Formats: sequence, structure tokens, C-alpha cells
Amino acid sequence: MPKDYGIGASSKRREDVRFLSGRGVYTDDVALHGQTYAVFVRSNVAHGRIRKIDTAAAAGMPGVLAIFTGEDFKDVGGNPAGWLINSRDGTPMREPKRPVLAHGKVRHVGDAYAAVIAETYQQAKDAAQQLADDSDIEELPAIVDMRKAVADASNRVHDEIPDNICFDWGWIEDNRAAVDAAFKSAPHITTLELVNNRLVPNAMEPRASIGEYNPGTGDYKLTTTSQNPHLTRLLVAAFVLGIPENKLTVVAPDVGGGFGSKIYHYGEEALVLAAAKKLGRPVRWTAERTESFLTDAHGRDHVTKIELASTKDGEILAIRTETLANVGAYLSNFSTATPTFLHGTLMAGPYKVPHVYVNVKTVFTNTAPVDAYRGAGRPEATFSIERIVDKMCRELNLDPFEVRRKNLIQPDQFPYTTPVGLVYDTGNYQATLDKLIELADVAGFDKRAAASKAKGKLRGMGLSTWIEACGIAPSNLVGVLGSRVGLYDAATVRVNATGNISVMTGAHSHGQGHETVFAQIVAEKLGIPESSVEIVHGDTSKIPFGMGSYGSRSLAVCGSAMNRAVDKIIAKGKKIAAHMLEAAEGDITFADGKFSVAGPTRPRPSGKSPSAPMSRITTRWRRWSRGWRRRPSTIPPTSPIPPGPISARSRWTPKPARSTSPPSPAQTISAM
Amino acid sequence: MTKVTMTVNGKTVSGEVEGRTLLSTFLREGLGLTGTHVGCDTSQCGACVVHVDGKAVKSCTTFAADVAGAQVKTIEGMNNPDGSLSVVQQAFQDHHGLQCGFCTPGMVMSSAALLAENPKPTEAEVRHYLEGNICRCTGYHNIVKAVLAASGQDVSSVAAE
Repeated sequence: MPKDYGIGASSKRREDVRFLSGRGVYTDDVALHGQTYAVFVRSNVAHGRIRKIDTAAAAGMPGVLAIFTGEDFKDVGGNPAGWLINSRDGTPMREPKRPVLAHGKVRHVGDAYAAVIAETYQQAKDAAQQLADDSDIEELPAIVDMRKAVADASNRVHDEIPDNICFDWGWIEDNRAAVDAAFKSAPHITTLELVNNRLVPNAMEPRASIGEYNPGTGDYKLTTTSQNPHLTRLLVAAFVLGIPENKLTVVAPDVGGGFGSKIYHYGEEALVLAAAKKLGRPVRWTAERTESFLTDAHGRDHVTKIELASTKDGEILAIRTETLANVGAYLSNFSTATPTFLHGTLMAGPYKVPHVYVNVKTVFTNTAPVDAYRGAGRPEATFSIERIVDKMCRELNLDPFEVRRKNLIQPDQFPYTTPVGLVYDTGNYQATLDKLIELADVAGFDKRAAASKAKGKLRGMGLSTWIEACGIAPSNLVGVLGSRVGLYDAATVRVNATGNISVMTGAHSHGQGHETVFAQIVAEKLGIPESSVEIVHGDTSKIPFGMGSYGSRSLAVCGSAMNRAVDKIIAKGKKIAAHMLEAAEGDITFADGKFSVAGPTRPRPSGKSPSAPMSRITTRWRRWSRGWRRRPSTIPPTSPIPPGPISARSRWTPKPARSTSPPSPAQTISAM
Repeated sequence: MTKVTMTVNGKTVSGEVEGRTLLSTFLREGLGLTGTHVGCDTSQCGACVVHVDGKAVKSCTTFAADVAGAQVKTIEGMNNPDGSLSVVQQAFQDHHGLQCGFCTPGMVMSSAALLAENPKPTEAEVRHYLEGNICRCTGYHNIVKAVLAASGQDVSSVAAE
């Protein structure tokens, strides 16, 4: 019978009521007294040298309050890459500065090189057009094709990077010779060149940011379309503007979809903060759809040569890839992790393939920055592997279902360590394949195809089996692999004085329904109604430091942190219950929302009830005739639990999966 | 600047607008009715759909001055008088016809306009009518189900069940 409450119940989403009533609050819905409007002046050439930006005419136009150019930000920091990758030869990746506004050169269509702040949007827009007309940008040959970018060192996206390569990465470099040897002796080799095409994420809500500054306190506030407000705060404060982190609050209110593109910090966020400080007034910016196309981080864009070595009956012996991955004009925050550790580590797929080697060269081009988008590196891997497995089946005239069945890891082989560094903990892929064949009615396909043909139509059938790593953790391993931030998360569970619950989470909901499902976790564990649990997210001044939502990590990482925080609430409650129920702590049990003394019902020395509801214990209040009152002197001064309603915070980072054999240094990633 | 007067969600409202002021701007910035969203500026996405004299229009490409004297209804005017969700809104929640919520106001307004002119649309008619409304969380099947359910029809046959 379906559950009607708690984890797994099909509850109606609580956030729907405000969204359906037009009462959601997205960044652009926030109106502030004295607000001003920013409009960016963007390059309409892919590659150009900035000769002159004449601001005089624009500055004199009606309503114009300030104009910024790259010159204003040349002494502050750049927007950094969050993951350090080393090349095969051990040298670190090249990291050109990504400035708030382009300085010296523009490097992609849409690259902002100036911004106008005015009293109204239309005034800012008019002045931005004037500024564009008064700017002299010498167009340079555009570098778009990755192969040409690598081959022609005379034309450079960044003048200081001679071959337009960010890094040349091998995974796992120590295995390269063995993989090459496996290919040399292979009975059959299949080769495929393919393109994982570039994508524009295009969330329905355009990016938007509002900067505020209080001259009286020195406090900044950024309201922005972010999937991870704490990460944005860290990047703006510590890396770009040098604002003390404690003087900056970042709020990501309702966010209309992200798909990866709102993970990253963008220059517009720094600009509105700097402008707000200069003017002492709020400064707002909302992207037009064209700006979304041109400046939101794009996805994928790999050109790959993949080879597969096999026996004549389709047993996979080795896989080898050479990929050019486009990072665009600048390194976006996760752009270096996406085509490497989120990609190469998946290149064995769900197959027991003994030898795999992945080579990825990331290339700078005069295109919008590319970063993690929906699946991020992993779909690119799956697409490559599955395409070549099918091609091998066609070349050898083999059944693609049977070839997959033969190559899938067997149930008794788990935990299984792949040659690309992951440990798969459990699985029964054959059973999944059997179920798929049954559900898809594969046996009836020929009949359906014939029926379609009789109607003059074509019917096809595709098959793909794959595995995808989710969660982007554990922190200690991503740290070893080059991540500059830990990928843990955190939750605080606070029992309010009247017994209901506030949960502050590092996860951010931009369509996922966290407010509904996180409440289910807490409600089920505490035995209280979901409606008694409020989920707070998106405001760095309220929530614990967490890393936000992307990579399917909200439930696995943040949900686990929440689960553990509730366990702490129960543990603390048991200490109090032991005192209030006049029993030993070890005898206290918690079930169905009640703390009870274990064993057969026995009278307490005082003769009172041997159980108490969660709310009474955890708040240490009781209902007196005149309303809720603090229960005086309930807890002795020697109690380890301080007085007042209890709260608990927990951090969580997933543990590495257990391998059957000691991992080599290169095999230390677990299922991420 | 010109003064325009219109009825929005049953209330008479006035405001000073330029000739180029869009209805979406007038509603959002002039009246604070931010439930009407602007997603594309180019009439593609449909997040800005409102009713003008009962017809669904895209407010991001309608001049406020052009609807002077009209009856305008926005998402804020869709709830029942007691504040509860109307039939169409409730159907969206029941059938999980939304995720991030940004396209939702336009979807609800278009759906309500469809049902006003065609109370029992077929699935194909629903899909055709909503072709000017884009959902990026890709919830179209559930949106179609919601509209059919709001019309009192069986939704079990809708694709991707």
C-alpha cells in the first residue's frame, strides 16, 4: 500500500502553492527603494583588442550614474577555477585571469567590457548603446575550431598561453602502456570519431543579480540566481572583490531552473556589488534572453576519437580515447573537473573492461565558457562508449543485447574496481537488462517494425546501458584529486519552543522540491507531521556553510547531513527524557514521536506516565493552563545539555566505497 | 508619458506609462504583480501570458497603452475568492505539472484561456494550444495531464505515464 506520510510518500509539493498563485519570489521580483539599473556593454566580435572606450558621451546622458570598464577591476582578483588539474607531464594547468569586465582583449561574443548604471533600465540601455558606439575594438581572427586552435600557435585566445591548451590530462597515465599493448594484440579494433555537441543550458529564468551596500555598517548583500549561495559568497569575497566574508550575505531566493549554469559565479554579480558600494544604492541587473545564450556557461563540446579492442565474439578488451574538450574563452568554476574527473572516471561504463586509457586536452577558444551541464562529463562518456559498443556489434555482426550481457560486470564481482579509479559497490546489471528486455517487449519489436513499415513508416530501437556517478564527493578524495573546495554538506535542525521544527540546509532548491521531500525525512524520523517541519535554504545568513545543489547531491549529501542532525536531536532528547522520565538514559527508547522507558510498562517512582512526546522533551516546555511556559528547574545544573529547546547540526561527506583489494595511488576515487 | 487606466484582477488601476512601456513592465514594476514572468523578451517562452478581455496574450510584447480600458487578469487573480487554488491550479499541483515554477504562471493562464474557449479539449488540442509556452524542466506530459484533468477528462492515456 502506498505510504501517505514521510519518506517515499507521494506528497503534494508545498512549494507549488506559491508558484501556482504567482507568489514565488525570484530575484527579479525583488524591488528595493532607490534601486538603480545596470546594463552591460558586450563584445559583438569573438576576438578583439580593446583600443579605446570613450565614456564621455554616455556619462553625460540622462539618468546615468556611473560607468565601469575593465580598468576599474584590473587590480582586483579574477574569478577562479575550482579544480586544479595537472598535465601528463606533471605541470599544472594554465589559469588565465577571468576579470569582472574584459580588459585589454575581448575573447568571446558577449564578453562584457563595460557596464552602465542609470536611474532607469531604459536610460542604462540607451547609454550602453552610446558606449558601444564610442568603443573601438580591433577585430582579431576568431579561434573557434579546437583542432586549429591547438595546431596554430600564432593565434592565441590568451596571449600568454602559446598553444591554447589548458592542460593535457591522462587517466590513468600509468596504465597507458598496458592499454596500448592490449590494442596491439587485439583480434578486432573498432574506431569512431564523434562530437558531443555544445549546448546552451537556457534556464527559463534568466540570470539576475541585485547588489546592496550599507555605508553605515559596511555590509554587502547580493541577491542572485544561484544554485549554491555559499560558494558564490566565497568566490566573490575571497577571490574577486576581497570583501570580508562575514560582511557579505548572499541570498538565492526562488530560482527558476539552473541545469548547472547557475552553479558558477559570474562577473555581473561582482559588478553590481562594486557599483552598489560606489553609489550607495541598490544596483540590479537581469539578463535578456540573448545574454543568457551568450554568457551562461555552456555544456559539453567534446571532439573525441574512441577506439575499442575486442575479441571476434564481442568481449571488450580495452578502450582508449583522445578528446579535445572546449573550455571556451575563460575557465568557469568547475570547467576543469567536468571533462576530467567527471568524465574519465566513467569511461569503463558498466563493463568489465580490463584496460582503459583516457586522454583529454582542454582547449581555449573564442567561445562562451563551457562548464558542467546536466550530467556534466558523464553523459559525454556514456555517449562515446555506447556508440562504439554498437559500432563494434555492427562490424562483427553481433547482437547488441547479448554483447552487453556478456560484458556487464557480474553480480558476484562487486565491489568492483574499474581501471579508471572507481569502486562500484553493488549491482545486478544482468537482472536490470532482463527487466528492460521484458518491459520494452524486445521480442515483439520485429512485429511492430513490420506494422510500421506497412504504414510507410520506419521504426527503430536503441539500447544503452550505463552507470553514472552522482553526489560529487567525498571531500577528502576530491581534495586529493585537485578540488579546491570540500564537497561535504551541512544541515541544522532546530526545535522551536512550541515543538515544531526549522531545518536549515546547505542544499538549494531550484525546482527539485526540497521543501517537500526534506520535510519528509525529518517528519518520518521524529514522528511528527510534515507540516510541522519548515525547510530554510538559500540565505547565507541563515543556513550552515554548505556547497549547494548540483550533480544529484542534494539528497545523497545534504539529506544525509539532515538525517544525522535528526539523530543528534534524538540522542540529546534521550538525555533529557532520562531525567524527566526518571530512568537511566540507556533505558530510553524513541519511536513514533515519543520517548519512553524501555521494557514492560512500569510505574515511575513519581507515579507519572512512563513516556513523553518529542515536543515536550526537546523543548522542555509544557503546556500550562495559561499557555506555553518554560518548565522551571527541570534539568539539574550538572546536565550536559544546556537549557532551552535543543538544536543540532551535522556535516556529511560520503565515505569511500570498500574495495576488495588495496587501492593503488591512482585508484583512490570511490563512487563519487 | 500617458496616463492609462485598466481593470486588473477586478480592480481599477491607473498609471503613467511611456508609449514603449510593455504591459509586463506595467504589471510587474508599476503594480508589483510579479507573478507574471519575463523569460525571453521575444514572445517565445510564454511565461508572461495574461488575459486581456478574456484572451491569452503575451504581456512582454504588448504595450500597456494599447490595453487601456481593458479587463486584465494575471496569475494573482486566479485563486478562488477564499484563497484556495482554482480548478486549473489545483490540477497542476495534483499532476506535478511544475518544478521550478518560472513558466508556471504563463502555463496556468494559457490553460485557463484554452478551457474557456474549449472546455473539453483533446490531448492534441492541449499540446497545440500550449505550443507558445516553454517549460525547461521538461514537464510537458504532466502539464497536459493537468489541463485534461482540469477539464474533467480521464488522463490515464496521456503519454509517458
